[in-house]
Amino acid sequence: MQLPQVLVKSGDPIYIAGHMGAPKVPTIDHQPTDATPTMKILFWGVRGSFPVAEAYATGYGGNTPCLEIDAAGQSIIIDAGTGIRGAGQALVARGVEQIDLLLSHTHWDHIQGFPYFPPLDEESVTVRVHGLRHSSPSLHEVFSGQQQAPFSPRPLAKVRAKLEFIEHEDGDQFHLGETKVTCRRLNHPGITAGYRVESGGHVLAYICDTDLDGDVLHVDGLDQAVDDAGWLEQLRQNARDLGHSADVMVCDTFFLPEEFEPLWGHSCPDEFLRLAAEVDAAGIWLFHHRPGRADSDMDGILERYRSAAVAEGVQLHAAREGVEVSL
Amino acid sequence: MRVKLWGTRGSVSNPSAGTRRYGGNTSCVEIRGTAGEVVILDAGFGLHWLGQRLMGEGFSSGSEAHVLLSHLHWDHIQGLPFFTPMLVEGNHICVYGPGVNGQGLKDALMCQMERAYCPVPNFFDDSIGARLTVHEFDNASFTIGGVEIRARQIHHGDAAVCLGYRIENDGGSLAYLPDVDYTDPEHLESALDLAEGVDLLIHDSLNREDEEPVKGHATDADAVRVGEQAGVEQVMLFHHHPDRSDDEIDAVVASYAGHRIRVSAAAQGDEIRLSS
Repeated sequence: MQLPQVLVKSGDPIYIAGHMGAPKVPTIDHQPTDATPTMKILFWGVRGSFPVAEAYATGYGGNTPCLEIDAAGQSIIIDAGTGIRGAGQALVARGVEQIDLLLSHTHWDHIQGFPYFPPLDEESVTVRVHGLRHSSPSLHEVFSGQQQAPFSPRPLAKVRAKLEFIEHEDGDQFHLGETKVTCRRLNHPGITAGYRVESGGHVLAYICDTDLDGDVLHVDGLDQAVDDAGWLEQLRQNARDLGHSADVMVCDTFFLPEEFEPLWGHSCPDEFLRLAAEVDAAGIWLFHHRPGRADSDMDGILERYRSAAVAEGVQLHAAREGVEVSL
Repeated sequence: MRVKLWGTRGSVSNPSAGTRRYGGNTSCVEIRGTAGEVVILDAGFGLHWLGQRLMGEGFSSGSEAHVLLSHLHWDHIQGLPFFTPMLVEGNHICVYGPGVNGQGLKDALMCQMERAYCPVPNFFDDSIGARLTVHEFDNASFTIGGVEIRARQIHHGDAAVCLGYRIENDGGSLAYLPDVDYTDPEHLESALDLAEGVDLLIHDSLNREDEEPVKGHATDADAVRVGEQAGVEQVMLFHHHPDRSDDEIDAVVASYAGHRIRVSAAAQGDEIRLSS
């Protein structure tokens, strides 16, 4: 697998105008120089539900969610969809030995790439998997389950890298080197975290998967003393906390308003434009694209929301495999 | 019968510019008998797209599909939760495959639907969607309409049980050996038996002879050797390594130009007709 072939900087007017065809820039320069930006974000997988290897999706990409963040030399991965395979090949090539994986949740499309993450073959590598607290099954059990017989040829216990599973509480803040990470619970079936990653004054907010403004409370295992309306308000506040003044807000925009299914736990671009304006975020990146969404559909969505984004004073982008954002 | 390739990739999907022609979806092959029977070999992510095609053809209340699983590694079952005909009331979906480690096939498949992993409604519950029947076997011969099917165990690394299939219909025949290794010469016996004289042998080719082998898999050279020994008409290389690019697959196929057996590589979207 090659490195991504598209290199586009945040704010590039060509990119914002939409799908560019297939420009060929063969490699991404990861060599640190004096001019190295404080935070680099690289999209390795942008598709929701399941990977899509169809001709209509090759522009924006068909791999399931994975972001690579280089925060002042700290290697952070968000989610372990099929995109993580390419991210791992790049990390091994660069000799990175400490990798922190921030996991939003354990649905297939966010973990299915993990057994094929090349750093797992390296004895010198430590991979720390962070997620919210999972009582039963634990995060470790969910990952072991994915790699057990008869479903997988390689048990988790046989990977060469050192693995740690760290379960956080809703609202926890922790440091990875100089980088500060905050995790907060989101409104999606099961147990789902959003993340705020801060480094050198730059902020990435990853708010996926979630139903931001819906009336249905999707989550498992909440304190029953608080009623549903109270929890819905709290989860909305969590999203605001994550996104406050973010430079880059990565959004679950699986739906368009006319497609919205109240029981699925996903959002539309409309809600995220409102959120970004409310919390003063600079730009939103549409993400977790629906499997049936063709490249031309994505271009159409950018066009459809362009004037609303201008009115809200928010930069609008659509995440695309291989795109790197430097802050 | 018609044979259509919906997923040709092994291990894990690889959607990328370099795999566009041979395809990035995990294993799934559709067979249509001459009387319209719908027989499906494996349920990788290609199954989703086959399901969408079936729905477009009016595959709804009362339609029937038969899904034959070789084994239960994810890349052969992960499309099931996204197979839309499964969610349509009145349809009848029959799933066939091996039992495992004392755990029934149905229980094993339900693990994929556990709430921690999968938000899709559990269609194994009879009150949701299509009627689902699960048939478990290790070796079997049976017919679906006019389609004759034979299943036999083949060897695939540490996988508890892996099945190969031989399918015959209206004078056409194919053998499907998607994941197989021949580390012991004894492993050849069932493969040769299933492939004997078929028109089309769809065979694992994840490994290459000059590369570090992935355990439990065959090379293109193994595939061609089995094809020759079994006297088949055509060998189709299948279950491509996730990192194998279109250009590399072209080169593998080109290396068999002029060989006395026709050698091709499975490409997502291709369709083949087999008849007497």
